[in-house]
Amino acid sequence: MTALLTIQQLSITLQEKVILSSLDLSLDEGDILGLVGASGCGKTTLLNAIAGFSQLSNGRIVLDDRLLSDNCQSVPAEQRQVGMIFQDYALFPHLTVQENVAFGLSKQSKIEQGKQIEHLLLLLKLTDYRDNYAHQLSGGQQQRVAIARALAPKPKLLLLDEPFSNIDARLRNELMVEIRQLLKRFNITAIFVTHNKDEVFTFADKMAVMAEGKLLQFDSPSLICQQPNSYQVADFLQLGSWLPCRVNANCAVSLLGDFVLESNDSQQTHLIHLLVKPSQLVLNVEVNEDNIANAQVDYISVTEQGYHYYLRSLDNSTTDERMVFSKLSIYSDIALALTQRVSVRVKAHDYLFFSQAN
Amino acid sequence: MIALYSSKTWTLSSYLIALVLIVPVLVMLVGGLSASTHLFVHLWQTVLPSYLENTLLLAFFVVVLTLFFGVSSAVIISTTDIVFKQQLRWLLLLPLAMPAYLVAYLYTDLFDYAGPVQRMLRHAFGWQSPNDYWFFDVRTLAGAAVMLALVLFPYLYMLTRGAFEQQDQNLIRASRLLGLTAKQSVLKVALPLARPAIAVGASLVLMETLADFATVQYFSVNTLTTAIYDTWLGYGDLGSANALASVLMLLVLFVVLAEQRSRSGLRHQSARPNVKRELIQLSVSQQIMASVFCWTLVILGFLLPLTLLIIMAVQYSDMAQLSVLLATGINSLKVSVIAATIAVLIALSLGLYQRLHSDKYRHVPKQIASFGYAIPGTVLAMAILSTLGPLDHWLNESAELFGFTAPGLILSGSLFAVILALVVRFAAIANGTIASGIKQIPQSLDYAPASLGVSLTASVAKVHLPLLKPAILMAWLLVFVEAMKELPAVLLLRPFNFETLSSQIYQLISDEMLEQGALGAILIVMFGLLPIVLLNKNKEKV
Repeated sequence: MTALLTIQQLSITLQEKVILSSLDLSLDEGDILGLVGASGCGKTTLLNAIAGFSQLSNGRIVLDDRLLSDNCQSVPAEQRQVGMIFQDYALFPHLTVQENVAFGLSKQSKIEQGKQIEHLLLLLKLTDYRDNYAHQLSGGQQQRVAIARALAPKPKLLLLDEPFSNIDARLRNELMVEIRQLLKRFNITAIFVTHNKDEVFTFADKMAVMAEGKLLQFDSPSLICQQPNSYQVADFLQLGSWLPCRVNANCAVSLLGDFVLESNDSQQTHLIHLLVKPSQLVLNVEVNEDNIANAQVDYISVTEQGYHYYLRSLDNSTTDERMVFSKLSIYSDIALALTQRVSVRVKAHDYLFFSQAN
Repeated sequence: MIALYSSKTWTLSSYLIALVLIVPVLVMLVGGLSASTHLFVHLWQTVLPSYLENTLLLAFFVVVLTLFFGVSSAVIISTTDIVFKQQLRWLLLLPLAMPAYLVAYLYTDLFDYAGPVQRMLRHAFGWQSPNDYWFFDVRTLAGAAVMLALVLFPYLYMLTRGAFEQQDQNLIRASRLLGLTAKQSVLKVALPLARPAIAVGASLVLMETLADFATVQYFSVNTLTTAIYDTWLGYGDLGSANALASVLMLLVLFVVLAEQRSRSGLRHQSARPNVKRELIQLSVSQQIMASVFCWTLVILGFLLPLTLLIIMAVQYSDMAQLSVLLATGINSLKVSVIAATIAVLIALSLGLYQRLHSDKYRHVPKQIASFGYAIPGTVLAMAILSTLGPLDHWLNESAELFGFTAPGLILSGSLFAVILALVVRFAAIANGTIASGIKQIPQSLDYAPASLGVSLTASVAKVHLPLLKPAILMAWLLVFVEAMKELPAVLLLRPFNFETLSSQIYQLISDEMLEQGALGAILIVMFGLLPIVLLNKNKEKV
């Protein structure tokens, strides 16, 4: 199966500032891609380039075997069959719900239009609001109108720009599940942009992590979660906390013990970081000769998973400043006091080491 | 996001429109500045210094007075619990509808030696002649400044009040929590925050003052505008008139630059302006003082002149007057309707060009086209005469060359010149109103139609124009009213025997016979009220 959307070597430079550089991406039909990255990393620009609102400096975009744009030509946005849900929904304030949904349907006969609108309104539970104006609707309803409107012209690709950022946090999850089911039902290929990784985990089949105009990693969310390919990806997605280690022959030496290095490719750097997830840490409150105190409680908060602690290394535990750790995240049901000394140990697992540079 | 529409015809026509609107001024500036130095030396040795002095003094007095009237009333209305606040809020805008020359005439009539006030005083105190007592003379430079200030202060009132209402109330609250009293926080936080708006208002007042012709003419105060008028119509000296106009234009340019600079400071407006301001509680004596101040402005700037006009109309109107009124009224309507329509069409074209076109310099045509508002009517008239005159000659000569009968002064001697002047002068108002309407359309609505497969023309027709309807109406009305009121440009450019309401009223004022035109004057005031009422209504809806 060939990919529905192919992006090759996409670069965009605006006013001598590189927004996107040599980006490659391809997406199969029916896939939902979540695009994450800090604000200003170029993810919205990427959406605009696909939609036809930004000029490419280099590279090409192909949708369903049709060249949409390269550095010399560009299919006008209205001829691309790419739909978009805007962050503010961009509903036409002077039109009713029904008229908004019908806006992109002028090319069909009136009867067909009517059927299509009826179908969409029913599906998105908007039938009762067809004669209302956008400002009379709640945020969730407005979003459903935006979706119905974007789906009406049957786009080949749907773009969603931070679609859930205006939705109440409590409703967000429910809505995401609902919309995902809808997109799947229509077999819609979609790309959505967010800065919230949890939205990607709930909503997407594929995940792309971006930083400073570059694509860092592109894979399924679960794979990225298990195997982040760089310090940046793991750090941005907050997949765990960092434990600094010094490389010594085949060993990584840390304040919490030594770990055997299986491969030797990180040996050229002196300092590496071990990614530690809370579940990979074992906490011992009883401090004795077997369990020497090696960390102290720095911060406490209460979560639904029990107490959440940040641990940091003991003062005077080392003369090497780089080895000091802080904000080591761990969950426990045991109540601890601030600055209480504890013993903590890393469970044996497939260690993930990263060097901080690049 | 960047806009992506690109059309050569659109670009070309936008620049062409801008060019037509700016060329007369360039021709005049070139003509004026390339005038022989002898001419300037002569003017400088004779009249120019006193004209300049009068112009600058008048401008200074008017700005000081309007600052006092406008800013104080805005502060009172937006920060205190003055009684009849809701009524005063809009009443204070009404003087804008009153042309300054009408106020000037009416007050002169009222306070002159032969006027009712002095007659009454003489009667009451038994005075026999002007030597027996002192009474102020309205027909002076100071008098003209007061007249102008009485009708121009609403600019400052409106902009300052707007700035106050847009302010982030949390800033005021923060200043209170940091220990300022309510009054101190007005002086130390709210007023400084409103400074850019006040500066913009003051520059608008300055521009209007520099452009004023009829008031100073009536008071025989020789300023640059009256000098231009006299030099051209009195002595037929186009060179000197152009030179004087260029000097005035340079003065105006400074004001424009100042205005642009202060406008750039208007940005720090709040996203949370809707929180209710806590009002300063006035004591009884303060309440009385504030009320007297505000009501005096309303009465002197609007209610009293209107009453005087109505009394005149009731006493002196007859059928003959009505028929003259009808004829000139139709002329006024015709000219104003055409000018307003053209100005709005231009504003729409240039405004949407700036919004939707992908060109990097897409804001340029609109900026050029908006320059005309700064140009006083007298200057503009000179500019158009010096451009269209030669053009007419050239047309006639070419026509004769090809064996046609010469068409005569079809450009400079026809309504074309009047309408061109009105469009050049008031395009900026239309541009500004339409531009702020466009600004209120969220940027994403430009892109949404394309993402739904709808083309540019269809999206302008189905999205932008319907959303701009209120702005279009407002822009049209504002230009229409300004065109109805415009005097000097019409006076200098109108075809022979063509009278508009304003030119006729000016003639009657010059002949001290306004009674004959009281009905027309009332009509102009009433038309002037339309946009104010509409503006006020729109504000309240929001």
